[in-house]
Amino acid sequence: MQNRAAIVAAGRTKFGEHYEKEPEKLIEEAWLKAALEVNIERKDLEACYLSDYFLPITNKLGLEEGFLSELTELHAPMEVTRSFSSALTNACNAIQAGRYNMVLVGGIEKMTDRWDKIRDDLMLLEDPWSYYAGCTPEANHELLLRAYIKKYGLRGEDLEKLNIALAQIAVKNHFHGSRNEYAQYQRKITVEQVLKARKDAHKPLGLYDFAPISDGASIAILTSENVAKKFTDKPVYVLGSSSATDYLTYPAREDLTHFLVTRNSIKTALKRADRNLWDLQLLEVYDQSTVMEMVSLEDLGFCPSGTAWKTVYESCKEYKGYYEIDGHKLYVNMSGGLKADGNPLGATGGAQIFEIVKQLRGEACDRQVKSDKELKCGCVLELEGFGTKGYTYILGRD
Amino acid sequence: MSSEPIERRVSYLGDRLRANRCLMCGKEYFEIRDYCGKCGRKSYGKMVKTDLFFEKGTLEVCTLINEPTNKFTKLGNYIYGVVSFHDGRIRVPGRLTDRIMKCNEDIDFSALEGRSVVPRFRRRYSVEKADVVPTISLAFTFADEYYPHQEYRVTKPKKEYDLPGIVGYGVYTSRFRIKEDNIQRSVPFTDEDSITAAVEAGKLALVHSGIDSSQIGKIYVGSESNPYAVKPIASKVAQVLRLGEEEEDMQGVDAVDTEFACKAATSMFKDAASIVNYPKSDIKYAMVTGSDNSQAAPRDCPGGELDLFVGYGAASFIFGKRDVIAEIEGWYSCTSDTPDFWRRDGEAYPMHGGRFTGDPAYFKHVRKSSKKLMDKLNLKVSDVTFFVAHQPNVQFPVRIAKELGFKEEQYLPMLQVAKFGNTYSGASPVGLAAVLDIARPNDRVVVASYGSGAGSDAYSFVATDQILEKRKNQKLTVKYQADNPFLEYVDYTTYRRLKNGM
Repeated sequence: MQNRAAIVAAGRTKFGEHYEKEPEKLIEEAWLKAALEVNIERKDLEACYLSDYFLPITNKLGLEEGFLSELTELHAPMEVTRSFSSALTNACNAIQAGRYNMVLVGGIEKMTDRWDKIRDDLMLLEDPWSYYAGCTPEANHELLLRAYIKKYGLRGEDLEKLNIALAQIAVKNHFHGSRNEYAQYQRKITVEQVLKARKDAHKPLGLYDFAPISDGASIAILTSENVAKKFTDKPVYVLGSSSATDYLTYPAREDLTHFLVTRNSIKTALKRADRNLWDLQLLEVYDQSTVMEMVSLEDLGFCPSGTAWKTVYESCKEYKGYYEIDGHKLYVNMSGGLKADGNPLGATGGAQIFEIVKQLRGEACDRQVKSDKELKCGCVLELEGFGTKGYTYILGRD
Repeated sequence: MSSEPIERRVSYLGDRLRANRCLMCGKEYFEIRDYCGKCGRKSYGKMVKTDLFFEKGTLEVCTLINEPTNKFTKLGNYIYGVVSFHDGRIRVPGRLTDRIMKCNEDIDFSALEGRSVVPRFRRRYSVEKADVVPTISLAFTFADEYYPHQEYRVTKPKKEYDLPGIVGYGVYTSRFRIKEDNIQRSVPFTDEDSITAAVEAGKLALVHSGIDSSQIGKIYVGSESNPYAVKPIASKVAQVLRLGEEEEDMQGVDAVDTEFACKAATSMFKDAASIVNYPKSDIKYAMVTGSDNSQAAPRDCPGGELDLFVGYGAASFIFGKRDVIAEIEGWYSCTSDTPDFWRRDGEAYPMHGGRFTGDPAYFKHVRKSSKKLMDKLNLKVSDVTFFVAHQPNVQFPVRIAKELGFKEEQYLPMLQVAKFGNTYSGASPVGLAAVLDIARPNDRVVVASYGSGAGSDAYSFVATDQILEKRKNQKLTVKYQADNPFLEYVDYTTYRRLKNGM
C-alpha cells in the first residue's frame, strides 16, 4: 500500500465513571498523554477527526468541534463521526491522499451523565423497531445466543459447555483487565460468579456477560509514513482496513447468528493488507457481550461457524493467556476487552487501537504478551450498533 | 411517509404491520419500500403492498426482559423475541403481551420458541400524560391461548335486503378478570385501553361480516374513557383497520367519536342504518363501536362505589343492506337533562348521583323507550324473543325486564354484566352480541340502551336466515370469552394497576 498512515502515539484515559470531568477535559487528558510521548504541540496538528456516539444526547453538546476549539485554541479542520474506527478511516484516507501529514484521531464519550436514560437512548439509536417492540440493549445478545443454540442444535453436554465457555470469556477478560491500569474493572472474577449472575437474572446471559457503561476518551496521532520516524522509532502502520454495513433492524437480517459486517470487512482488510488470517497474532474484538466475542472468532474466520465455544472451552480450562486454535496462539482482548476495560462507545475503538499499538511496541507493561514469536501484526474489530456497522483494522510494525 | 414526523410513521407501519413483497423474487419487507433490495431498479413498480395484521406468525427465539428500558417498566417482566411470518420470509421484533409474570420465574425458552403467535394491537410504551399515546402491533399472544388466530376472508355479498341491518359484529374483552362475590369483571392488561379495544372489536367484526373493509364509509366510536379529550379513537380504528378506500396514507372514510355516557354507541345505530339506506349515499357499510375501559375512582374515594362494577371491553357492529343478519324494524329514543352520572373535564373519574340513578334516571328512560318502541311497532311481549337492556349491574336490567313483562328465557341471555362488568358504551352492545350469538332466523330482539345525562335508545331487530352461516366465521363469541380456560384472575391491587395502564 502506498503512503500508509502510521500511528506514532496513542493515549487514553482510564475508563469508568468520571463524574467530575467534562467531556472536553477527558479528551484533553488523553491528548496530553499521546502528545508528550512524541513531543508535539497542538499547533502541529493539521486536522482532527473526532468521534462520539451520542454526546449531543448525553451532554447536549451539538457542535463538539467548537468546544474543543475553544479549549485548545485550535482552528484546524475538525470532523466528527460516530465511532473511533470511522474517524480513523477518514484520517487514514486523508493521509493516504496526501492531504495532511499529521492528524489527530480522538474518541470521547460520557455515558454516565445520562443516568438511567442511557439504556433507552442506546436501544432507540441502535435498533428503533426493536426498541418500540420492547427490546433492551442486552436482549439482542440473548436472542443471538438463542438463535445460535437453535441453529447448531446444541443441547445437553454441548449446551453446558457453551454456557461455561461464555463465562470463561468474561473471566478471561477480567483477568486481562486486572493487569490494565486503564481498565474500568481491574478485578478478577470466577466462572461461578458469572453463572450465578445468569441464574439470578433468570436469563441466558447475566451481569458479567455484558460490557459496562463507561466514560472515557482515547487518542491516536497519525502521520504519513515518510515522516513517522521523525517522531518515534516504533511507528505502527495501518496495513489495511475495511468496513461494512448491515440492516439497522436486527430481526430483519437474514442470519441472526452471525455478523455479516465482520465477515465482509475482515476479508477486504486482509486483502488490502496483503496478509493471511494467521498472520494476525493479536486481536481486540468487540465483546459488548461474551457471546459477541465468541461469534466474532467465527466471523473473523479463526473458528468454523458453530465451533468457537469448543475452542474457548478447551483453551480456558487452564488458561495460558491465549486461545489455542490448530496449533496457533491467538491473543484476544489483552486490554480486558469491552467487558473489563469498559465501553465508552465513541472512545472504545481508540482503546482497542491503543492496546494493539502498545503490544506491538512491547510497551504494554504487566499485560505485555510474551510470545515466542515476534509480535508483528494485530487486528481490531469495532462494531457500531448491534452489528449494523463493522470496522476491521490490521496494524503492523512493518 | 419519510417526511412525516416519526410518531406518525411508526404508527402507520407498526399499528397495521404493513409490509411489501417483491413480485420478481418474492422477498418481503416489513418497512415499506418502492423497490426490492435484491432486484434493484428493475423491481420498481413491482412491489405489492401486504400486511401481517390478520396473519399468524411463529416465535422464533425469545428471552426474558426483567430490566426493561424506562418506557416499558410498567409492563413488568415480559418475554421478548423475534417473530417470523410467511415461513421465515419476513421477521419482526415483538414482545409477548397478556402475561403477568412472577419475579423469580424460571422460563424454559425452548418451550415457547416455535409456537404460533397472533399480532395484537396495543399501547407501545409509557409516555407523559400530555403526549400522544403511541400504539403498535408488535405485541403478540400465543395462537392456541385466549385469542385464536382467525383468517379475514372477504366474501362476495349474496343478497340485498329491503331494510338495513347488522351485517357483522365483534366483541372484544381482555383475558384478565377480577372475581368478587358473584360478579366477575374483565380487566384490561397494562397496555390496553379503549382505543385498543375499539380496534380489536372492529377487527373481529370484519372477520365475522366477511365484508371488504374498504367499503366501510363511516365509522363511529362511542366511548367515555377515550385517553384523549381531543383526538378521536375513530381515526385510529379507520387507519389500523384500513376502512374506506385507501389512497396514499389516507383512508376514504368519515370517522367520528360520539359521547353520551353509556349510550354513545347505540345512539349511532340509527345513523349508521340511515346512511347506508340513503339512496344518494355511496356508503355501503358503516361501523359503530362502543368501547370503554370503564372508569371508576378507587373504592375508598368519592365515586368509588362504581369500582365494584366497572369492566373493560368493546363491541362493534357493521351496518349495511347486503348479507344482513338482523334487520332493523324500528327505533325510539328519548332524552331528558338528568345529571345522574358525570365526569367533569380534567377529572380522572366520574361521579355518581347515588340513589338518584335508579328511578328518575335508568328505569324512567329505559321503560319509556322500550314501551314506546313496542307500541309503535305494535309488538306484544310475546312477539319478542330476546330483550336486551343496558346493564350497569345485575339488578337493574332484571328489574326493568320483569317490569316490562319479559320472562327469564327472554332476558337472561343478554345478562353479561356478571361476566364482564359494566362495559359502559359497550354494555348493551355486548348484551346484543350475546343474544345474536344464539338467535335463530326470524327471532326478534328488542334492545334498550341507557346513557346517563340522560337518555335511552330502543331498537327492534329481526334475525335473517344468514345469521346462521355467518356464525361460522367467528370463534371469539361472547360465550367463548366469558367461559375461557385461559382466563386469568387477578386481585384488587393488580386490577387497579392494570386498569390504570401505562
